[in-house]
Amino acid sequence: MNLLLAEDDAILAEALSAQLRRAGFEVEHAANGAVAEYLLLKSPFDIAVLDLGLPMVDGLTVLKRLREARRSLPVLVLTALDSLDDRVAGLNAGADDYLTKPFDFPELEARLHALLRRGRPVSGGTELGRLIFDRDSRRATAGGEPLDLSPREAMLLDLLLQERGKVVTKEQISQAWAQDKSEGSGAGSIEVYIHRLRRKLELSGLAIRTVRGLGYLLEVDAGA
Amino acid sequence: MIIKARSLHRQLFIWLLAPQVVLWLAAALFTYKLAERYANEAIDASLSQSSRALARQVKPLDNGLFIDFPRAAQDILEADPSDRVLYTVSTPPGHFILGNRNLPPLPANATAQLGEPFFYDGELSDPAAPQPANTRVRVAALLLNYGAADKPDQTLLVQVARSSTNREELARRILLDTVLPLSGLMLLMTMIVWTGIRAGLAPLALLQARVAGRASNDLTPIQLEAAPPEVRSLALAINTLLSAVHHNIGAQKRFISDAAHQLRTPLAGLKSQTELAMQEAREAVAEPALLARLQRVHDSATRSAHLVNQLLSLARAEPESASQQVLLPLDLLRLAQEVTAELVPRALAAGVDLGLEESDGASFTVRGIPFLLREALINLIDNAIRYAGRGASVTVRVSRAATAGQLLLEVEDNGPGLTDAQLEQMFERFVRAAQDGGGCGLGLPIVREIVERHAGRVSLLHAPGSGLIARITLPEG
Repeated sequence: MNLLLAEDDAILAEALSAQLRRAGFEVEHAANGAVAEYLLLKSPFDIAVLDLGLPMVDGLTVLKRLREARRSLPVLVLTALDSLDDRVAGLNAGADDYLTKPFDFPELEARLHALLRRGRPVSGGTELGRLIFDRDSRRATAGGEPLDLSPREAMLLDLLLQERGKVVTKEQISQAWAQDKSEGSGAGSIEVYIHRLRRKLELSGLAIRTVRGLGYLLEVDAGA
Repeated sequence: MIIKARSLHRQLFIWLLAPQVVLWLAAALFTYKLAERYANEAIDASLSQSSRALARQVKPLDNGLFIDFPRAAQDILEADPSDRVLYTVSTPPGHFILGNRNLPPLPANATAQLGEPFFYDGELSDPAAPQPANTRVRVAALLLNYGAADKPDQTLLVQVARSSTNREELARRILLDTVLPLSGLMLLMTMIVWTGIRAGLAPLALLQARVAGRASNDLTPIQLEAAPPEVRSLALAINTLLSAVHHNIGAQKRFISDAAHQLRTPLAGLKSQTELAMQEAREAVAEPALLARLQRVHDSATRSAHLVNQLLSLARAEPESASQQVLLPLDLLRLAQEVTAELVPRALAAGVDLGLEESDGASFTVRGIPFLLREALINLIDNAIRYAGRGASVTVRVSRAATAGQLLLEVEDNGPGLTDAQLEQMFERFVRAAQDGGGCGLGLPIVREIVERHAGRVSLLHAPGSGLIARITLPEG
């Protein structure tokens, strides 16, 4: 993954570059807006992390020009400004996500991955814990063993995987089920399906946690 | 020197009314004098007639006087029993002939002309008289010459007196008849003047009410249309002051906000560097003591970052910025769901079981600024997670208060809770329940600022068993 990091604070940029490289990104650093603009328009990046308070050309202008040039790469805006107006301005200029400084690196990493996932076509395989799930065929294996999933269970698993580490509300589940008209099979409450899926995931190293009053959350078992 | 200003109302009232009172008194006095004069004229005319009539009855006879005073004539004289007419006929100096001896004598300075009645006031002083003693009377004295031409010094004095009671009564009635309607008019006038003053000064009162009725943080200029031209310059001066104050406060707030923002980038750098350093130290299997030290640096950086963020939140929650936000109807339950769901990962990382209590599908609508209410709830849940401790459970609840039209948003934990003394202090800035919670002591003050923006209240209560309930009460909208 090619990532452009436009950040003028040298200490932050240095640490961030190192962390991003460790996380598996190919990082190019731009210390001012002019360089960032030049690099973004010249080379194909997969994603950009853009500070708004850049010297020479400010981040918002870089972002606008980038969008005018019809570059659709996901851009995560990083800024010390966090008022509602700043956010709205950033999102209006074409930012895909917004993170205020100071931040935890895991948070930044998670958001970058989410942006990259969003940009990709809805297909491909997901690997988590000992589970491998193929979105297209809706087949899953846990520790190499194929799992026998009903269409609704597969859908539930897909949803939980997409939102892993976050709460999936019952509302979201019913909405996903309501949208899906391809399979008429399966009745029963969400709780019943969760219960079945839990049992089938026993060997996957994944656990579905019930969040009181809200929904469910997929997490990797501590022991896995 | 301080000049004690008197009420404009009172000043105007006095200055408008005092001349009228003077006029009223003058009019009353004048009327009384006039009434007295006319009453005297009427009585004097009748006394003069009576004295002449009596004088005609006196005829000289030889050396004496013959008085032919029939009963009928007496009756005429004494027509009114309550207003008895008294008379005396005498020949001066002091030779009494007929009538009542007690009539007041001619005053010493009297210059009675022959044949011309002279009038004077006096008092009857006879205790044996049918009237009470010292009755005031009006007397007509007529001096006549009765003798033959060769005895020119033979004079006759006829005095007819009549009690002043009727005359005074008449004057009083005239006075009353004039003064009563005059007093009514005065009263009416007073009312009109008072109303007029009030109406005239109403714009001033309006201006005063507008300034007095302001919230202490409302620094918008006074609307000048509300001010009459006479006080417009005062309003203008106040506006100038207000805008200067506003500008000053704004500059200070901007400074705090700018300073906090400027701190963010270096703090982000510090955090990133320590995170990286810890990773590298772990991989290089560095000394545990060094790793622990790095962890402390990182914690400190994280805390500073939290403090900076909270300071900015507080600045945002303060009225100057919040008043520019529009209150929108929003579903409190949905807000609670979103915020709670968002914080579940953080709670799980801290080993806290965070959940929402199921509610009965009712709608819980309030009018509010969504991002501020979110911030308030985030702070309460964050506090609960920080202070309830690993293994605790934190429950968010939306319900209807016992008081109609009030909604409750509560965050309950089953952690160690607080003492009563601590509960009291928790809303003060920079007061922390525990030193190791990683909080900065701004969470609850932020919540309070936000909730008060929404005409609500926030309170901390002991939870049943152990733990705390943080409760936000908001008016249903």
